[in-house]
Parts: sequence; C-alpha cells; structure tokens
Amino acid sequence: MAFASIHVPDFSVQAVIRAEPALRGRAVALLEGNPPLANVVAANLSALQAGIELGMTKTQAGDFGVEIRPRSPAQEKTAHAALLDLGWSISPRVEDTAQDTILLDLAGLASLSGTDEAVADRMAQQAESLDLVVNVAVASNVEAARLAARGFSGVSLIPPGEEAQYLGCLPVDALLPSAEILETLDRWGVRTCAALAALPVVELSERLGQEGVRLHELARCADSRSLVLAEPGHSFEEEMELEDAVEELEPLAFLLSRLLGQLCARLEARSLAAAAIHTRFELEPSFEKDFLRANDLRRKPPSKIYEKTLALPVPMRDPKVLLKLLRLQLETNPPAAPILKIILTAEPGRQRVAQGGLFLPVAPDPEKLGLTLARLTNLVGDGNVGSPEIADTHRSDEFQMRRFHSPRETSETSGKSERIAAGAATQTAELRTAAIFRVFRPGVPAVVELREGRPTRVRFRGMRGDVLAASGPWRTSGVWWREDGWHNDEWDLELQFHSHTTQAKRGLYRIYFDSIRQSWFVRGMYD
Amino acid sequence: MYNELHARSAFSFLEGASSPEELAAVCAERGMGAMAMFDRDGVYGAPRFHLAAQKIPIRAHIGAEVTSPSGWRYSLLVESREGYQNLCRLITKMKLRAKKSEGLVLPGEIAEKSHGLICLTGGDDGPLAHALARNDEGANGAAIPETPIERATQCVEQLCEIFGRHNVYVELQRHFCRHEEARNQAALAIARKLGLPLVATNGVCYAGPQQRELLDIFTCIRNHRTLANAGRLLARNSERYVKSPAEMARLFEDLPEAIANTQVLSSRLKFTLNDLGYRFPKYPAPDGKSEMQFLRERTQEGMIPRYGPPDSPAHERARPQIDRELALIEKLDLPGYFLIVWDIVRFCRANNILVQGRGSAANSAVCYALGITAVDPVGMGLLFERFLSEERGEMPDIDLDLPSGDQRERAIQYVYERYGKLGAAMTANVITYRGRSAAREIGKALSFDPETLDRLASLVSAWEYKDEYDTLACHFRDAGLDPNHPRIRKFFELCVAVQDLPRHLGQHSGGMVVCQGQLDSVVPLEPATMPGRVVVQWDKEDCADMGIVKIDLLGLGMMAVLEDSLKLIRDDYAEEVDLAHLPENDPAVYSALQKADTVGMFQIESRAQMSCLPRLRPECFYDIVVQVAIIRPGPIVGQMVNPYLKRRQGREPVDYLHPSLQPVLERTLGVPLFQEQLLRIAMIAAGFSGGQAEELRRALGFKRSQQRMRDIEKKLRAGMDRKQIDAAVQDTIIQSITSFALYGFPESHAASFALIAYASAYLKCHYLAAFTAAILNNQPMGFYHPSTLVKDAQRHGLKVKPIDVACSDWLCKLERYKKGREGLAVRLGLRYVKGLREEIGREIAPQRAARAFSSIDDLKLRVPEIQKSELAALASIGALNFIGGKRTHRRDALWQIERVARRAGPLLERPDDDSQANANENAHLAANANAESGCESKTFKEGVNSDGGAANSPLAAMTTEERLIADFSGTGITVGPHPLAYHRADLQRQGIRPASDLAKIPDGTFVRVAGAVIARQRPGTAKGFVFLSLEDETGIANAIITPQLFRQYHITVVHNPVLLIEGRLQNLDNVISVKAERVLPLSLTRADLSSHDFH
Repeated sequence: MAFASIHVPDFSVQAVIRAEPALRGRAVALLEGNPPLANVVAANLSALQAGIELGMTKTQAGDFGVEIRPRSPAQEKTAHAALLDLGWSISPRVEDTAQDTILLDLAGLASLSGTDEAVADRMAQQAESLDLVVNVAVASNVEAARLAARGFSGVSLIPPGEEAQYLGCLPVDALLPSAEILETLDRWGVRTCAALAALPVVELSERLGQEGVRLHELARCADSRSLVLAEPGHSFEEEMELEDAVEELEPLAFLLSRLLGQLCARLEARSLAAAAIHTRFELEPSFEKDFLRANDLRRKPPSKIYEKTLALPVPMRDPKVLLKLLRLQLETNPPAAPILKIILTAEPGRQRVAQGGLFLPVAPDPEKLGLTLARLTNLVGDGNVGSPEIADTHRSDEFQMRRFHSPRETSETSGKSERIAAGAATQTAELRTAAIFRVFRPGVPAVVELREGRPTRVRFRGMRGDVLAASGPWRTSGVWWREDGWHNDEWDLELQFHSHTTQAKRGLYRIYFDSIRQSWFVRGMYD
Repeated sequence: MYNELHARSAFSFLEGASSPEELAAVCAERGMGAMAMFDRDGVYGAPRFHLAAQKIPIRAHIGAEVTSPSGWRYSLLVESREGYQNLCRLITKMKLRAKKSEGLVLPGEIAEKSHGLICLTGGDDGPLAHALARNDEGANGAAIPETPIERATQCVEQLCEIFGRHNVYVELQRHFCRHEEARNQAALAIARKLGLPLVATNGVCYAGPQQRELLDIFTCIRNHRTLANAGRLLARNSERYVKSPAEMARLFEDLPEAIANTQVLSSRLKFTLNDLGYRFPKYPAPDGKSEMQFLRERTQEGMIPRYGPPDSPAHERARPQIDRELALIEKLDLPGYFLIVWDIVRFCRANNILVQGRGSAANSAVCYALGITAVDPVGMGLLFERFLSEERGEMPDIDLDLPSGDQRERAIQYVYERYGKLGAAMTANVITYRGRSAAREIGKALSFDPETLDRLASLVSAWEYKDEYDTLACHFRDAGLDPNHPRIRKFFELCVAVQDLPRHLGQHSGGMVVCQGQLDSVVPLEPATMPGRVVVQWDKEDCADMGIVKIDLLGLGMMAVLEDSLKLIRDDYAEEVDLAHLPENDPAVYSALQKADTVGMFQIESRAQMSCLPRLRPECFYDIVVQVAIIRPGPIVGQMVNPYLKRRQGREPVDYLHPSLQPVLERTLGVPLFQEQLLRIAMIAAGFSGGQAEELRRALGFKRSQQRMRDIEKKLRAGMDRKQIDAAVQDTIIQSITSFALYGFPESHAASFALIAYASAYLKCHYLAAFTAAILNNQPMGFYHPSTLVKDAQRHGLKVKPIDVACSDWLCKLERYKKGREGLAVRLGLRYVKGLREEIGREIAPQRAARAFSSIDDLKLRVPEIQKSELAALASIGALNFIGGKRTHRRDALWQIERVARRAGPLLERPDDDSQANANENAHLAANANAESGCESKTFKEGVNSDGGAANSPLAAMTTEERLIADFSGTGITVGPHPLAYHRADLQRQGIRPASDLAKIPDGTFVRVAGAVIARQRPGTAKGFVFLSLEDETGIANAIITPQLFRQYHITVVHNPVLLIEGRLQNLDNVISVKAERVLPLSLTRADLSSHDFH
C-alpha cells in the first residue's frame, strides 16, 4: 500500500504568484496588516536570499528590490481548492492535511496510472499546469510521505522499509512537537529524527509521556495511521466562461439562472442551502474606456474583476428567489464592462427547519424580508439599511447602522438582550427631554449674518429669518488624530420668517458653523 | 480683573496636561495676578507652582480636589496656614487607609478639618453637578428632595454647614456646552436663593488649546482605551485652557460679579507655601541638658579618637575649626539636626551596619568628630562653608552611605520607629514620561499594534550622547515607519509634547524627611508600594526648595561589598580587618592603580578611569581623591584633565591664575579641580565671604538664570577690582568659575569616595577571594558584568568553582582547596541560576546540610516545590553533575530530571530507580565522595562519561560550544576558559592579537584585535565618539570608534556580541587603545555574551 503527499512550499507566496504569473521566478514578499503598519508575513526563497526577513515593514522591505504584494487569503483559498482538485483528479481518497499539504491513497492506481514514480511525476506535472510548484513524496506510510514532502524538495520516492533511514536527517521540528517537548529535545541535544528514533522508547515515555511515544513512532516511521478523507465538492462553486462578452442584464440573468439552478441542486443533494452567494465576474478589458476613465480623476479606475457577495438573511435554495436578489444587486451595482467569465460560489449553510413559535409575534417571512431589504438597499445604497444607533462621540449627527435582524431570528437567539435593551429604552425615555428635535440630513446650507459674533439673520431653502433669540455657541471638536476631524459651533435660534405670500412664522432652529468647511448649516428644528 | 482660581496641572496625574511652571507662566503672560492650582487628591505640584509663581511673580494659591465616597470631588482652596494643615491631614488620612493611588475622604472627616478652607461648588466633577445629575436617594437616609434643583440646593446647604456660609462659593464655568449652561442656570438660582457669592473659573486642564490632544491621550491611558474607542470619554472641545481676563469677562459679561469675585476671593487667600510651618525635630538630650550642650559633649568626646588627646598637636589644630563650627551651629539653631544624624550613625554602628557620611558634610570637622564622616577636613584643608554658612539660610545636607539591601532598610525602619509614622517619611520620586514610556503609551492610545510598539520602544536610544541622527524621526525610519504619514506625524508630535510630564509618583531611593510633631501637616503622606513605608507627595528637590530637612540614607552597593568581604575574611581567612585602620600607602594597591588593574574597584573601574590611571599614576591617598574627581563632566568639559596630567608628568610648568591663588591651587598643580577651590578663588580673589561663595555655587547650579549670572559676574569683578587684579586675569578667573562650577565635584565628596575606593582596592589586592565573592553577591552594581568580574579574578589567580547543588549555597562562598597549593576558591552561588526562585535556592543548602542529596530524585523529594524548569536550569549548567557522588554529564542530568519531574507513582517506579529506598546508602556514598573532594574542583571533564553508573543516559554529552551556550544562558557566567580561548589558534592565524600583547606593540602599529564586547559607551562629553571594551582570555582591549565610523558600522557595533576591530594602536603613557578603521562581526560562539552598554 502506498501513499503520496503533495506539499506546496511557500504556499501564501505561490498562491499570489499563481494569480499573477508575471511574478514567477522573482523574489516576492507578502505583507499583512493595516497600512502603515503592515509587516512581511511570507517570502519566497529568492526574497529571503535577497535579505528579506519576516516581520519587516513595507518601507524596510522596499530597500531590497523585491516584489511586494499583500497577502491574499482569497487566492490562498483558491490555491488550496486547486490543490484538492489535483488530489481528487488522481485518487478518490484524499486527506486535506493542511492548507499547503494533502495526502493521497495510491492503492489500486497502478493499473490506471502506472508505477508510483509515474504517479508522482504526473502529480508534479499536473501541479505545474495549475501554476503550483510542489514537493511530492511517495511512501508506504502516511506520515513518512507527509514528512518527506515537507522536508525534501522535488519528487521523493521512499522505498518500503527505508523510511526511518531516509527521514533520519530531518530536524525534529518537522514532526511538529509541542513547544515544551521541542525545548526538552533541544536541551537533550536531540535535533534530528534519527537521534530521536535512537532513544529507548520506554524511557522516553517515562519522560515525555504519550506525545513522546508518538513522536518516536513518527521519527521511526512506525506510524500506521490511515487517512482522514476529505469530502469532495465542499466549496459549491460554479463557473462559466463566455465566448462573447455579455453586456445586457437579461441574457446575463438567463445564464445566472442556469448556474443557480445547478448550485441549488448540488446543495439540495447534500441537504444544505446557500447562506451567501459570491458573484465574481471577469470583465472585458476596454482600452478606450479605461484610458478615458483613467484620465477622469473624479472617477475611480475600473476593476478588471467584479465581485459581490449576496448575504442572505436565512440560508435558502430557491433559485428563483436567489435570482431576483442577484438581479437587484446587479441593478444597484452594475459591472463596469462586459462580462467574460462568471464564477458563482455558494456558501453552504443549514436549511432552516424549525417552525415559528406559537407565542412569537407574527413576523414577515424571512425570504420576503430579505428580498425587501435587498430592494431597499437597491434604492438607498449599501450601509443605509438597518437599525440606526447613536455613535459614542460628541459629534452631533453621528450615528451608525446596525444590520437589521428579522424579529424571529432575534427572538430565537437573544431574548435576554432584548429585555436588557427594553430596560435601557425605558431609562432613555425617562431622560428624554420634552422638546423633539427634527434633524435635517444632510445639514441644509445657510447664509448667516452676524453682529459681534452672534447670528442676527439666517437664510436657507429660500427662506429668510430674523433672529429673535440666540443661545450659543455650543462648541464641539474632535477626531483631531485623523483627517476627518471636526470643529463646529452650534447655535439654537428662535427665528421669525418673513414671506410675501404667507403670514410671518416663528420657529426654533439649530444652526452650526463648520470651521473646517468654513460654512454655515441648519442642523434641524425643534418641534 | 479676573484670576484663574481652578486649574489642574499634570500633577493631577493623567487629568491635566501642563506642568505647574507652564501654567504659571501662561497665567502671567495673560496678565493675571494670581492663580489657584487644584491637583487631584494632593498638593503634588504645589512647590513647583509656588516657586515658578514667585519668580514671575504672581500669587500662587494652593488647593486640591478631594474625592468623596460618591465619586465627586470637593474643590478646596487654602485660606490660611491652618487650612493648609487641615488639607494635608485630610489627604494623608484618606491616603494612608487606602491602597496606593486610591482613597476617599469621609464627610465626617471633612467637617472636622474644614477650618481655613474655602469650598467651591466645582465643575463637572463637583458636588453641584453631581447633585443635579444623580438619581439616587439622599445620603445617610435623608429625605429625598424631588427635583434636581432641590437636591442641588440641599447639597450646597450641606457645604455651607461644613465650611460656613462665607466660605462657600458657587462656581460657574463656561466651555460652550449646553448641559454646563443648564447647570450654571441652576447654580445661579441656588446662589441667589441662599445668598452665596458667585465665582467664575475656567476649570483649566492645560495651558494652551493645542494641549487638549495630550489630555485626550491621558484620558485614554487612564481608561485603558484607544482614541478610536474612547468615544465621549474624550474632551468635548478644547476650551479648558488658560483664558485671558478679557476672554473670561466676555464669557461672563452677563455676570460681572462672578469675575469680580475672583479678585475678592484671591485677596482672601493669604496662605502661601512660604508659610509652611515646618520645624525640624528636637533631639531629646538626657539629664535636662540642652541640645547644644549635649552636642558639644559628643563632639568633644569624638575628637579624642579622631584627633588624639586634648593636648596633642592634631587636637590643637582642629580645636579652633571645631569651635567655629559649633558656634555657627548654635547660631543657626541646628544642634538637633546634627544629633539626629549622629543618632542614626550610632544606631548603625551598634548594629554592625557600615555607614559613612558623604557629600558636603565631609567638610565639617564636627561631623568627622561625631563619626558621621570619615575624612578629616582639617587635615585636608576642606572648606566648611561649602557645607554650612550663615548667609545661605538653608538647612545643611548630610548624605549617609549604607550597604544596599537589608541593612539600609534597617536604618530606614529605625528612623520611622524613632519619629513615628507621621513624623518621618521617604521623599517621592516623580516618574516622568521619557522616550520609551512616552512612545509606548501614546502608541497604544493611537492603536498601534504591540509589535510596532515594541519595535519603536526598543529603538528609542539610551545613548548618553545624541547625534543629529538620533532623533525620533530617525527612529521611526529605522522601525520601518514613514515619518511623514499623518498618524505617525501626530504620534511624533505627541511623544515630544509629553516628554518630562509627570506620569506617576515613585519613591526616592533613600531621601527621608523628618519633622517636629506632625509631618502630615506640612505635606500629605501616602503609603508606598513597599510595605511599612510612607512617602511624602513631594520629591527630593521640592522638599529642599521648601526648606524641609532631608537625610539621604543611600544604599551603596560597594558598602555592602565591603561589609560582606569583612565577614568572609573573618570567617574564612580567620583575620580581622578594620576599615578605619587600613594600612596607608599600600604598595600593592598603588601598583594595581598605576597599571589600571581596577576591575571591580569603587569609582575607579570604568573605562574612562582606567584610561586616566596610567597617566596620573596615583602614589598617595590624595591622588585617589583627584582620580575620583577628575573623570567627571566638569573637569572634562572645562578642559582641566589634560593640563593637570601634563603638569603632573612634568610636561607643562605649574602656574597659577593669580599669585594670590597659589595656596588654593597648589595641591592640584594650579588647575582647579574641585568645587571648593572655586569657592576659595572667589573668596580670595574677589573677597567673597564663605556664605557668598556658596551662594555663587548655587547660582551657577542647575537652575542658573542669565540675570543671576550677570549679577554675580558684576560682584566678582567688583571684588577683583578691589584686589587690583587686572582685567585679563579677571576674565580667566570668571571663565574658570562659570564654566566649571556647574559640573565640579566637591573635594569632600571625592575624599569620602576615595576612602571607599581605597578600601575596595585594598580588599581586592589582599583578599581577592572574599572581595570577589562579596561583589558577586551584590550584583547588579558597578561597571562590569559578573562574567567580566569572574574572568578578571581568574586572571589574577583566583580559582572560581562552578555552581554545584552538592556544594553551592544561595550566595557565592569561599571554599578551601589543596590541589597543588592551598588556597581559597570562590564557589558560585545558586543566585546565579537564571529561573531558580530564591526560596527554592535557599532551601537547598539546609536540606543538604542535614543529609547530602543521594540523587536527583532525592533532591526533588526533599525540596518538593522545585519545578521541572528549575531542575532543567540546574542540570543545563552542570549543577547536578555531582549529585549523589556520581560523576555524570549535563545531559545525563537533563535525561534524569525529565523522569523525576514526571513521577509515575510508587507502584510503577522501577526497582532499580534511585529512590528513597536507596537514599541512605547513596547518602553515605555521597558523603564519602564529598569528603574525598572537599567539594573539590571537578577534575572530571564533562563529556567523558567515566563511570557508566546508574545515571547513564542515551544522550551524547554536550560539546564545548553547547556548554558555553548553556553556561551563558543559564548563569551569564562561565568558569571555564573564555569563549575566545577556544579559537585562539584560528585568531592567531588571522593575525589577531590577544589583549595582553597590545602593551608590547609600538604606538602607531596597525593591529587587529578581537573580543567579546563587555561595554559600549557613548559619553555625552565625547562628541559622538564610541568606546568599546573587548574582552578575551588574556584581558581587556579598548577601541575607539569615530562618529563617522560609527554611522558606517552602527548595526555591527551595537548588535554583535563579538567584534573584530582593525586599526592603529595608540599607546600614550601606557594608555592603550585601538583607533578603529574597520569593524567586523565575528561568529565564534552562539553563547549569549552580555555587555554593559550606554553608560
């Protein structure tokens, strides 16, 4: 019985190079973290040889003349999926060992693919076609194959019975011992698998316990574990490359409907539903349009990839509903260029099975609610739908939108927090003042006449009002550490408006002077 | 006219963003005549505010915000001395019963101590704001008023009951906030209803609006938030700055009386810190004698052992000086002070605690006679006025050096016992924001991630010298951050702004203040972190500025070394050495000094001292006094070192600034080296009195002002004109005085230090084993790392034995050996085992004394708290190699400890294990083995597993390199050969010379030297030059790196533990160094060699 292991060294870097083939053969370092504090988290051998060290900042790494890219979890995910695909294309029995490593059972493949050596070579070649450079090891033992693939580059074939000898030169940390045991082994001067294998196992177990015994077994290649098989097709991705670019929504909807149908069928077969649909379009490059837009500084340069995620309120697998939602999303944010390739990925989730509680208030059907919310988002834009919440700041009109949860969802999960919220609401009601303030969003630009620093006359929305009484200024300023800091002087004014058509009218208004923009605005009025 | 009567300084720790000095300065700049400073629960910044205000001048009113149990704060202003005393007592009471930095004042207490205090109703944190906002029931079950305004009225009425109706002011603040104005309207109504006066304040928290940013940062630090998530905890706007009277008048134009009342209230506040009411305690003289009478008797008594019997010439010579001093002491009413210090010294002597006075007290013959100091000022012609003078009108300053550690603590506790908990306290030490702490805390508030913060903090340089590249901007670039990024720029600005602002209060290492009666009525007291200690709210300088007498009980590592050495000499050499009667002019001592063979000796061991010693070639005690004083910033900056050395070597003629100054400068060959000489110059050349001369020194001190300098120059010139000294000489004299006085070292101080230096040199030369053991037991101290001390001692022929559980105690000790020759060796103590807890280390020796350990199992059984990591630490350094009398190697022990630490239980133990069953037999074997070797040095070479006993392991013995790594990482020391010794042949092949060879090589030769860096220095006086000390197995080589070369090799010089340096050898008067031309890293060992850097 033989097992193979495929390991992708410098996995994160390779994942990025795979998406940008021009980087092949170059020194590449990857950054992670928020600018300006991003650090190098991975680098290939050429980059390390050029002097790059992990933990360097972008500025430091910039001095070494290497290609610097951000780390891409998405590309890593794709690369991992490709690695698994590679495994499944060889053998149905594949273990998803780590993001950069898989194990395969080669039993019974001889008649299909020839000798172990031929299989190993095929794996390496196929990996190359997937833009991955891999180490392949074949051994009669799962762990020996895994260790060899991690420890030796290229293709390694370990003859049965010679595993321990073959792997003896590997450092003990390849066995992934715990930090404590690694420290003990280091103190003992035991630094290779061979040295560890040479220790008497009974005495070792007295000292390092079961983990010691396990490591000893690994070092001797005496481990006989079986594979933990991965289930294929977990990612639920559908993809379609188009010969002619699609520009109109209708033909696109037709194609999407087909893909969604397939996705939902796959989900149904596994008793799952889609919790989210990721849409990814590859767009047709258009030199003229790009050039024109690139010169139009007011607009962002278009992306060659169109990506959107449709988060669903509850997992669902009705292709019609899903299509409607996708259409609404596309209407709100249409792609900037004709579409060449469509990739739809369904994030699987458990289908909702519970029925509504007898004593729960009647709430809209989650699917319908989701649809309504999507329509609203379509109308008013992303980030403008949900429950408003006052932000913790002195800035007067600051608020944030919290995602809206369907009442049923909330009632099932957070009865307690509701009670707390209700308590808080009562408290707030107690503290609420009698006057009600109606906020104008955004603030209405105004022209204000001043005398000795106090407003005397205000004009806005074509109205002109004399100040009868003024209270202020009420001064706030903040966020001085960012560029969007503010500094406002507010006034509460009693205004008397004059109009030719109507009778004179009085009103209480709040206006403010924005020192950063050097302009006056009406914040709102008191009812 | 408006006066700001409510300001918080940065001494409200994280609630104010400006120093008291800055607040006072801005207040004066804005044209106000007075300001009141309220710090939170204390008067921490009051002395600085008072002194700053005195200079400007404005009136500095003292107050405090005192926290109540409900969280709001009483804003209390001091009207009279009684009020001040009440405030201090109130704060002391609340502080002493709470944990550090906490405490609340109870309503009953405030009623009791309200006299002399005026209460404002406060701002956001005040009682009025709290009463208007709160929802709870009334205090003490009182009837609950229904509306906020009723509650607030009741609250103000309560304040009137406590402080009296005339002493409560309704405070109004306007920071352009709606809620505040609502409160003001309520306050106004209450004031009208109760007939109370209004007062406007601005609740100042910083001097200028820009400092609001710093206050926001402090808010984040205080609340453990970042700016991004602090929300409404941050300030609403930037209005709490010091506003001008015009601005305030505009703000309160509707309430002019609130502005006018600031003037009225200010005029009521008569108290200033000039009226502190401090009195030094009286010494209880026995038999109804007066203090003076008793002091005279003690001095007379002490003169006999110091100066001989009354008719002896020395006694006769000292008599007039003693009489003069006593007369002045009587006149200044200071006998009590001298007796109190004498009493502490007497306690130390009675309890075998080494003690020696230092500082200017060594100028006093009375101090010498009383046994406080050990230098004879009459014999040495020291200037008494440097210590005490009539004109100066301030308390003398006596510093006592004590052995650091427990002995000093005993002396401190004695003072507490003698003067009571409220009569004595330690002075505080204000910890301020410096480079690293500032970078770390501000970075945290700006949401920098921990790794970046670590990187930034580690980059903030600790060099004494800062070149133009040593700026924060450069550090940012080094850390890989773009200094032009807005967030980084803001970070940078804030780091600069926060520098030197107080962060928290610590405890001064040895300064104590005592008071007649109650110290808590002079300054509030707080508990210190250390149990049993009480600290005053002011630091040492503030206490001195306020005229509070302090006694410094300083812990000196070398005193502890001397004391420990004497004990070891007594126990192991069976000899008695009396430090007071050491042989004078010991040839061995002077020979060592002349060769700069001074590693470990007090004050004369540094690289700079060593580079001077062969040129100065000390031949008598006074030369040591000069040696101690000459390597100081004063002589170096004043360019006195080279002229003195040249004159001493006869290469330059001795001349004097003026013939009349010959008697003063004769001893130092015409070059002024000591502060006293400058004072005498002023006295002789310009006719200054002793007091005036001392005044001159103080004027030239750290806080020198241009105006005072000009005044003094005028006086000096006038005096010199009278003495008909010509203008050119006058210029030279004035130049000498002004440039030197700032950094000059007092001769008396140098003499006291020289005594200790001589004693340390004597002990090192004659009792090397005892001295080495003692100095190793008192680390960290001095200039060198313990490994350098050990290597130096070994080069002097001392045998140093490794740490061994079968022989070592917690401390290093002496062992007699008889191999070839008889002698004493130092056995390293378990204190050097990194990671071994002291209580475990101390438990090992008594267990071993009861019965030798038969095995590692036996050790674990009898010291059960020992942890696996501790056993591993011991095994790694070879400390378990000889346990049970068996010879094993380190890895055998490491193999065993893993099993010992993971015992399987008695049922599963293998019968052939070393267990308690075999303990007796093994103990017998062990005892025999120890007796045979007498805890002998190990002839057994590690790595040769000679006996193949039960402890055999399947592990290979450590290689030499592995042992070195284990020694350095486990103890920081190796007793085996120096790491470089293993590579000598290779080094020789590369043409690298050992350190000992350099003395034989002619000046100017191109050489290559290599060694482990034991010290890196970049002194402030050396214009960017870097000095390296490289150690190899033969000794220490010195290298000089120019600023240009340092920039070129910065990383190599700073980060590499072993360096190869190429350059020209400089040998000037046996001062040998290599002027580096190239610096290369050497990778000889991975051992963690340590260096003492950046002195």
